[in-house]
Amino acid sequence: MPLGIVLRNERRLLAADRALAAVLGVFALLFAYALLNGMAWVGFQEETVASAREGNVERVEALEAELVDIENGGSPSSPFRDPRSASVLGGARGAHTAVLEPGPLTALAVGQSDLLPYYYDISIYTNESSLLQNGEIENPLNLLIGRFDLAFVVVYLMPLLILALGFNVLSGERERGTLALTLSQPVSARGVVAAKMAFRALVVVGLALGVSLLGVLVSGGFGAPGRVALWCAAVTAYALFWFTLAAWVNSLSRSSAWNATVLVGAWLLLVVVLPAGVNITAGLLHPLPSRVEMITVQREASNEAVNQRSELLARYLEDHPEMAGGVVAEEANRAALAWAATEAVNERLEEVTADYGERLADQQTLVRRYRFLSPALLAQEALLDAAGTGDARFARFQSQVREFSDEWRAFFVPAILAGEPMSAGVIPRLPAFDFRDEPTRAVAARAAFPLAALTGILLIVGFAAARRLRRITGPA
Amino acid sequence: MIRHIVRKEFTDLLRDGRFRWTAAIVGALLLVSLGSGWVETRRADAAHSAARETAREHWESQGEKNPHSAAHYGIYAFKPRLPLSFLDQGVDPYTGTSVWLEAHRQNDFLMRPAQDATSGQRLGALTAAQVLQHLVPLLVILLAFGAFASEREQGTLRQLLATGISRRDLAVGKALGVAGALALLLIPAAILGAIAITIGSPGPAATPFARGAVLTVTYLAYFGVFLAIALAVSAWARSARTALVALLGVWVLNGLVAPRVAVDLSKWLHPTPSAVEFARTMEREMEGGVEGIERPDREATASRLVAEHGVETVDDLPLNVVGVYLQESEEYANQIFDRNYSALWNRFESQGLVHEALSFAAPLLAVRTLSMGLAGTDVEQHRHFATAAEEYRRDLMRRMNGDLAENSRTGETYLADADTWAETPPFLYDAPTVGWVLRNRTLSLAMLGLWLVAAFLAAAASVRRAEVA
Repeated sequence: MPLGIVLRNERRLLAADRALAAVLGVFALLFAYALLNGMAWVGFQEETVASAREGNVERVEALEAELVDIENGGSPSSPFRDPRSASVLGGARGAHTAVLEPGPLTALAVGQSDLLPYYYDISIYTNESSLLQNGEIENPLNLLIGRFDLAFVVVYLMPLLILALGFNVLSGERERGTLALTLSQPVSARGVVAAKMAFRALVVVGLALGVSLLGVLVSGGFGAPGRVALWCAAVTAYALFWFTLAAWVNSLSRSSAWNATVLVGAWLLLVVVLPAGVNITAGLLHPLPSRVEMITVQREASNEAVNQRSELLARYLEDHPEMAGGVVAEEANRAALAWAATEAVNERLEEVTADYGERLADQQTLVRRYRFLSPALLAQEALLDAAGTGDARFARFQSQVREFSDEWRAFFVPAILAGEPMSAGVIPRLPAFDFRDEPTRAVAARAAFPLAALTGILLIVGFAAARRLRRITGPA
Repeated sequence: MIRHIVRKEFTDLLRDGRFRWTAAIVGALLLVSLGSGWVETRRADAAHSAARETAREHWESQGEKNPHSAAHYGIYAFKPRLPLSFLDQGVDPYTGTSVWLEAHRQNDFLMRPAQDATSGQRLGALTAAQVLQHLVPLLVILLAFGAFASEREQGTLRQLLATGISRRDLAVGKALGVAGALALLLIPAAILGAIAITIGSPGPAATPFARGAVLTVTYLAYFGVFLAIALAVSAWARSARTALVALLGVWVLNGLVAPRVAVDLSKWLHPTPSAVEFARTMEREMEGGVEGIERPDREATASRLVAEHGVETVDDLPLNVVGVYLQESEEYANQIFDRNYSALWNRFESQGLVHEALSFAAPLLAVRTLSMGLAGTDVEQHRHFATAAEEYRRDLMRRMNGDLAENSRTGETYLADADTWAETPPFLYDAPTVGWVLRNRTLSLAMLGLWLVAAFLAAAASVRRAEVA
């Protein structure tokens, strides 16, 4: 098996190369450091999530105790904060914090999890403008630069390692004069390059996947095997893309120095320049709809609603006859009247925000199209999606928070309109938020796009390399 | 003699297809980024000015209203873009753009543009600053890595030195040659930049030309550092290839690895609280009070006022107790806000200092800090604006509560005239001057200076010791 010999020979050569061992060692350290960093972030998030949950329990317990006390003849702690009032129990005092657990692979990719909110306080007053939140407290400078996580090492640095290992697999042999000797054996140039690249790919991909799996294992086990598989597929496809690119450049039969220059240039273009260029093009051609204008519209909408306050309740009861039980429009209680105004503002806000949301979604669809220009963008998207720190999981969280907020309101509003007092008996029946994660199939279906594109590019480049290499038969 | 070397280097570079291509690409990127930054800044600025005017209009056209209702209605403040922000958008996409100034609360700046962007857009934006910080140094490396190493490989270094030229002159000549080639790219860009500032945005002036001048010097110093390092490595390396690999390594460490390590290190040294914890602490302090800060009490305020005015009951007071009490509550809350927010801002500042301090390992960190500072898009200038907005809020609340206290009696249903609102001064923001920015950035300035000196000394030493063959 001559190819087996090539492989074995490669292993010996690489094992003997001390510079290479050093480079691999440095990378192993970088991978490990990135993993530790990611794990520290997950630790912080988990602590925060736990403390938010604790807050939920404490609040409910305090309210229950007070309600029981009132039922036994005690008096409320403050007349404005009487928990028997539905607008107090469902308002800020009884607010429920809806939390999103860190994604199962957050330790591998911090992604958007430092920028987008992963908890919201939900009360009956939650509306579209209160859902506009900053998310975790974080220095904007740190947000701008980004974290040193595995996704960063994989997308930015791993290609450099691959290029260092693969830029001269063929040109080096030719320059040392060993190519003619090798090719006089019953092996083809294609076979030699394939065997050498395969061996190197095994080392690099093995290292990257090994550290990833270690990370998954340490940071919470294999709770989401589908996501882990997607992550591994993305890392492998991206690494193989760079190996085939190096093979193709080698197949052009130029000098090692030329190969290195071209490959570094390709890295610079695909990883650094193109993503930035794509962003600027996207920004110019499809500017984000202005949030600033949205505020103005929101403000006008709520002014309008507040000004018509007196007419609102009648209209509200017309729209919601089911809520009217026991309330007569002419002698409406103050809380019901106030609620009608709140509801009207919310409705207008929803209209404005829905309009904005549509424009934003259109813009994002357009921007996402450009990702096919750079394998780095494709890989990054697939990696974040697999890790559950991409845009999709946060969008899903936000939409479930909206649903929950409606559920919460539906629980309290009838009581507010009817002026019914709350009792300790409702506490166990309070709605509680529970995030329903996307089924792996849905994640896979979405990640399939970038992965398929990446594989397509990889196959085209690999095919081109194979075709050219077939022509190299003897000493060049 | 130096003149000949300079001319030879310069002509060589201009004839080199690789230089022409790379320079053309970098130049095009620089132009595109300048242009698009300018367009984007003007667009944002127009939106913000319009929103500012509308916000004021909303405030003024409230009609007859109780001043405290007006205080609850509040007003929005929009962060203006500084004239130089088109060069370096800095942290702007990651800070909120507007804040609601209302009664009782110091709100956070909301609506970070980055939150509306896709995850891919976090891989970097092409701003002039990015081109100058990352791509131009790379160009410098490509121009200079062979300066000595290639001549040595080709055997021409021995011949050159045999003509009697000193090593120092040779190095200076080569450096000037590269600098000349680079100037072909940078001078037009600088002129365009200056024109863009002149016809720039109508935002707060903030000494744009002084800022621009210091910014130019900063970047020139940065390129100088890279040029000197490239020459030093080229004279030291055994082959041109080694020189290139070593320099690319420096470039990756400087531009990609060091900044992210600085992020982690700064967070580790100066951790920030979670938003949950921050909010909870503030809530607890607001309810329970803090040692040394007295929580106002409505009854106590009333009896104090009664005693001060020497009247029988609150109804005899020539003022509204509620207005006085509301103002006392504002002042109490302000003390709690100041404690918590300034602690947080100081954390951010300490984290920024870690980034600056780490510039001993990567000059980019110092240059980035200076660049954002001079462009007016760093965290400190965001804080400067946030503080100004908060001061305006406090002043507005004082006026509202004062109006309520002076113009009505306790228990009375009082509505202020419709023209009360137009009498309150609008929020005018003065951006800090270049001196303010530089005083905050002495560490980065010192680091950059140190790098310049160290890189030149290293180049001199390396050239002196360079092997001829």
